[in-house]
Amino acid sequence: MIELQDIRLAYGKNVVFDGLNFAAEFHEKIAILGGSGIGKTTLLKLMLGLAVPDSGRVLIDGEDISEMSPERLRLARMKFSIVFQEGALFDSMNVKENIAFSLREYTDFSEEAIDKRVREIAGRLGIEHAIYLMPEELSGGMQRRVAIARSFATGKPKMMLYDEPTTGLDPLTAANICTLINELSMDGPPDKIGLVAVTHKVTDAVKIADRFIYLTNNITFDGNIREMTNTSDTELREFIGELFSRVCSKDI
Amino acid sequence: MDLKAQVASLQEFYLVCVSAITKAFKKPYYTKETIEQMDYAGVGSFFIVVFVSLFIGMALSLQLSAELSSLGLKMYTGRVVGLAIIKEIGPVAIAISFTGRVGAGIASELGSMKLGHQIDILRVHGVDPIKKLVIPRVISAIVMLPILTLIGDAVSIIGGYYIAAFVSHQSGSFYWSQIKDIMNFETVTTGMVKPFIFGYLLACISCYAGLSTKGGAIGLRRSTTRAVVFSTITIIVMDFLLTKVLLYAFGKEV
Repeated sequence: MIELQDIRLAYGKNVVFDGLNFAAEFHEKIAILGGSGIGKTTLLKLMLGLAVPDSGRVLIDGEDISEMSPERLRLARMKFSIVFQEGALFDSMNVKENIAFSLREYTDFSEEAIDKRVREIAGRLGIEHAIYLMPEELSGGMQRRVAIARSFATGKPKMMLYDEPTTGLDPLTAANICTLINELSMDGPPDKIGLVAVTHKVTDAVKIADRFIYLTNNITFDGNIREMTNTSDTELREFIGELFSRVCSKDI
Repeated sequence: MDLKAQVASLQEFYLVCVSAITKAFKKPYYTKETIEQMDYAGVGSFFIVVFVSLFIGMALSLQLSAELSSLGLKMYTGRVVGLAIIKEIGPVAIAISFTGRVGAGIASELGSMKLGHQIDILRVHGVDPIKKLVIPRVISAIVMLPILTLIGDAVSIIGGYYIAAFVSHQSGSFYWSQIKDIMNFETVTTGMVKPFIFGYLLACISCYAGLSTKGGAIGLRRSTTRAVVFSTITIIVMDFLLTKVLLYAFGKEV
């Protein structure tokens, strides 16, 4: 379980979070919605200890990450994997080297074993033909697939964190990425792999998540799709769009 | 920037400088990255250093030949050129050229990695960015800058010789005997200690500037500029302080 307790974070006079509380089980599928620059990516970084709050605590399985040793923190972070917007691939490495990155850092696999593992993951994600290409030669959708492949290289995480997984992609590619995210989340026996996806694309969020959080300086909404579409929060209604709201109400 | 933020960034810079030394002796060692950085910083800067040094040596020799000629001391051009190049101008000019190429490169590369979340990915995978990114660059700078300085000093002195012998029509053999005279322990130590320290400082400043980048393309421009400006100022100020310390250490009166 991941918990954020009473988080306050400000950059100078710009208060990003003030008294934010959030908790999630590893198997949950959560979409964090909100406008641009509201701190959605920062929330993901807080969960992994990549950003440090001014006050408050971040707990992974009940343990405060600020009190963990570097090795303990590394092991705690291995419960998660993150896919940033645009993939954050190492641009001096080709696709194969990107996927093999953590295998080379933290295992003593032979080159044959690494090659086998990379091809297995790449095949699974439909990027086997591209393993010798450089990141700059890949489309946005392919870059995200490679980033996902890299995050699965050393094993299955308990929870995936996606930062704007479909932003900047055409509708077809975005739909493919959503399908892939859903397939991967079904792929973690004995438990499903959970996910937290931050996005401002509501239509994609409903394809991959079943719990929705709306973020401003704090969490102003936390519920399922029925509760979201019936919300009385004017700002959230405006964000998800009246039209979408009506369509969803009919579907439900 | 308020005082609190300035103190915080000074503290972070201090941590980068200290970690670059303390973590260098702990596993894992990134030998491949270090060799790549040495190639980029050293081999890649070779022609710039040769070119800059050649013209510095020739300009200095030309100027000194003219000035010393009016005092009737033209034959000492070699001595003054040698001392000025080895002790002062060589280390400083080459360190500044190195900053312009390598320091700016480090800051923009690391800054781009920071903005592209690649540094976050390293940390998520349990890789310490100081060990993987900073230490190879610091080692590369403290190894390659003294070597480049040595090469640059030699090229400057050869450039000075060309002007002294073929333009100012001085005795070439006397020029070289003057150079040989000044090549003692003190001169060589003074000329070689400086590039080690300049290399360490400029690499730390540039790495810190890159790692603290924020704010998109403008932030990247700011951090690259900051790396070059702070490194240049630090090199010049540190040169003065080191000269003072080394003069004292060698018991020289001013």
